Amino acid sequence: MDGTNTATPLLEVSGLSVGAVTPEGTTPILEDVSFSLRPREILSVIGESGAGKTVLARTLASWLSDPLKVTGGTIRFRGTDLVNDTAAARKLAGREIAYVGGNPAGALDPTMTVGAQLVEKLRAVRPEVSGAAAKQKAIELLDAVRIPSAAQRFHEYPFQYSGGMMQRVMIVDALISDPALLIADNITQPLDVTVAAQILKLMRDLTGRFDTAVLFICSSLPVACDASDEVLVLNKGRVVERQTPEALVASPQHAYTSQLIRELPKLWDTAAAAPKEERGEARPIMSVRGVAKHYTAKNRAQGGTSVVQAVRNVEFDVFQGDNFGLVGESGCGKSSLMRLLTGLERPDAGTILFEGEDIGSARPARIRELRRKFQLVLQDPYGSLPPQKSIGAILEEPLKIHRIGDRKERRERARSVMSEVGLPEALYEELPNGLSAGQRQRLNVARAMTLEPRLLIMDETLSALDQTEQHKMLDLFERLQAQHGFTYIFISHDLAMVRRVCSRIAVMYLGETVEVAPNDRLFFDPGHPYSRALLSAAPTLEERRYDPKDCLLEGEPPSPIDLPPGCAFASRCPQAFDRCRGENPGLTARGGRALAACFLNPRRGEDAPSMTTPETTHA
Amino acid sequence: MTSIDTLAAPGGRRAEARSISSRIWRLAFASVEFRIGLIVFAVLLFAALLYPELSGIDPTKMNIRAKMTPPLFMGEDWSWAHPLGTDQLGRDMLARSLVGLRYSILIGVTTTVLMLAVGALIGLVAGYYGKSIDTVLMRLTDAQLSIPMIILAITILGVSRPTIPSIILVLGLAGWPVYARVMRSTIMAERKKEYVRGAMVLGATDFRIMVLLLLPLVLPPMAFVAVLDVARMMIFESVLGFLGLGVQPPTPTFGNIIADGRKYLLNAWWIATMPGIFLCLTLTSINLMGASLERARNTIYGGA
Repeated sequence: MDGTNTATPLLEVSGLSVGAVTPEGTTPILEDVSFSLRPREILSVIGESGAGKTVLARTLASWLSDPLKVTGGTIRFRGTDLVNDTAAARKLAGREIAYVGGNPAGALDPTMTVGAQLVEKLRAVRPEVSGAAAKQKAIELLDAVRIPSAAQRFHEYPFQYSGGMMQRVMIVDALISDPALLIADNITQPLDVTVAAQILKLMRDLTGRFDTAVLFICSSLPVACDASDEVLVLNKGRVVERQTPEALVASPQHAYTSQLIRELPKLWDTAAAAPKEERGEARPIMSVRGVAKHYTAKNRAQGGTSVVQAVRNVEFDVFQGDNFGLVGESGCGKSSLMRLLTGLERPDAGTILFEGEDIGSARPARIRELRRKFQLVLQDPYGSLPPQKSIGAILEEPLKIHRIGDRKERRERARSVMSEVGLPEALYEELPNGLSAGQRQRLNVARAMTLEPRLLIMDETLSALDQTEQHKMLDLFERLQAQHGFTYIFISHDLAMVRRVCSRIAVMYLGETVEVAPNDRLFFDPGHPYSRALLSAAPTLEERRYDPKDCLLEGEPPSPIDLPPGCAFASRCPQAFDRCRGENPGLTARGGRALAACFLNPRRGEDAPSMTTPETTHA
Repeated sequence: MTSIDTLAAPGGRRAEARSISSRIWRLAFASVEFRIGLIVFAVLLFAALLYPELSGIDPTKMNIRAKMTPPLFMGEDWSWAHPLGTDQLGRDMLARSLVGLRYSILIGVTTTVLMLAVGALIGLVAGYYGKSIDTVLMRLTDAQLSIPMIILAITILGVSRPTIPSIILVLGLAGWPVYARVMRSTIMAERKKEYVRGAMVLGATDFRIMVLLLLPLVLPPMAFVAVLDVARMMIFESVLGFLGLGVQPPTPTFGNIIADGRKYLLNAWWIATMPGIFLCLTLTSINLMGASLERARNTIYGGA
């Protein structure tokens, strides 16, 4: 795009420095940042957490709050200096310069309809626009970001929108005033891969249609490369390089970038062997059969109650000493299933056998005893630690609960797990306040470990951490497994992570396990169209095995309230045929220890649909 | 970012090896406000408990000849025998005020502890279990809230002879619903958080989660509000005394001292004023301690 777009730069940042100014002195956050951005250009800014990405975004949006201050340099937006002319900067922010953050649910007013908020925003910026015209424009834009039946959705409240739809509404909110510059700060991070892929595609369309320039802040290199024309790498507050994605990947100039690329997990790298199933004794530690769970929800709009089928037909085995992966998008029932697996809730049907004992029907006291042997590590490094307790107390709590050891023994145990997960023992009497997200997750793992469990369930444990930190945690998990013989279940939406560590993977869609297969088999020969769609949407720098154009899903999964009678995926499946809409395929073996719930797979004893793929046996 | 700074703060290393609660108390004790509050409160408490007995002055002994003696250095005929003057019947105001303070603190503190305990317990159970338990307990709370305190007091204390336990009961009965409501909503919000689920997965019992995990977390802010309520309850006790529903004469209480002194406001202002001054001193000292304790907590926990 460089050659064709020779327009004058829209934004010119030169020598920008931002620091935290406190009475004790100034801590620099950004130092000497310079770059320029032309209309219709998408520039990604990447860097690890703490590199100053969000500070940069907020500086450009004139949204710095104490103690952060611009300490040097200029920001020129169409020639206007935003640093010195604060009045002009304030006027531009929200009109010409729009900012979209990563927390759409927090940014929308829950008491107003989405439409009213958009109209209010537009008319606050452009009072001359009439109400009717504003509404018209809002609906047009909602349509442009593919909100289904936008005219009706206009009158709905934020809670009626899904996370992905809210994020799109935030983009509309930013675009409604026809900004020349859109600052997108981590907008895809909280979204599922298939939805994030939709948003990226959308952003590209929009730059073409509205001449908007986009500054795309992101912590994932593949997403940044997918999304943008050029990538700016920020490290410790400094710009270390700027290149086109292809050039960046091919010849990174800076050590930090090359490390980033080196550490990037690969999805289809056959050189690095995928974790194989090690089944000396084929005894499953956890065995899930036909598990289902529904919730009744009050239907506020129409009155009465509706039944939400959160989990159904879930089947899989987890073997001793193995790494099992459970992937799926948000709303697919992963969290509900996690609650069932950990005995927090009881299934309506089916059995969950842990070492031969059914967790689903055990007495509460028995479940409590069993909890010593299986533990859960939660997702949120901040919310999952009890507030106002010292690290030592947090680690001793599980021992106190199960009345293990005396004071001194508990203290010793706490100290020993701290050193095992790499937390300095000096932190024993400290509050976890000062810990980073990564250290907090270590603490979480340490707490789960104090009871010396057999099975650890990791519920999105790594999703809040950046790539470097994830890497270290995975190494830690591996070491702990080798030492203690843990079995892990990773519940995740991160395919790359699952590819790296899990030997056997289950894919969930709308509460069902649609495919359970060994690692290599799932990635190279998926047996379900949904698995293929997921793989096609995964952010990666590698050549894609599955073209998003063929597999990428339009729209959102159907609501789990009114499930279609047949295969739940039929409504979005590019290969669906009549039988899919009337009959649920159910998991069937397809050889090589792989199972999939799709009629397209040839099955034994039944008429196989006219498919040419022979049943492959996989190593 | 800031939290990392506090962790690495130089010089703080040695102090940080102590347990968290001892760190809070030390920090609170280091503040001037806390010390002033503690000294004033201790002096008042000891005076109230010991002075009338030690000095041998009977707060109910009348001396008509010395009636309405002004406090020291006020007016013409003040005397060292009565540092705070005497009332309309010549009774020593210092002794009377200190005995009154004794009852006032007794009733104020016991009542507050009672209503905090009842309210917190009901709120905790209702908020934690929710559903039908919550409905029953909260309707009970609403029912209690709908009865005005004064009417309740008149009904109970007017029918039977007011005694200290019955006064405590009446005031406590009127006060607990507020605590139950605050507790319930706080617990409902906390209960949904991940760390509670984390504790469940570790195998903690409901009792353990409620009493050892949630209660220590939500009780301190409520106890801080309760300190202010001690003041309110002391004033209510005075109101009851003023209405003649409090502790009955001749036992001096702030309420009946004020009620009596009201008639002589013009020629003996100090009678009705002294209880107010003692009340004010007591409450200020309690609040000074409470405020610096709260500040110390916030500093140590840093918003966690």
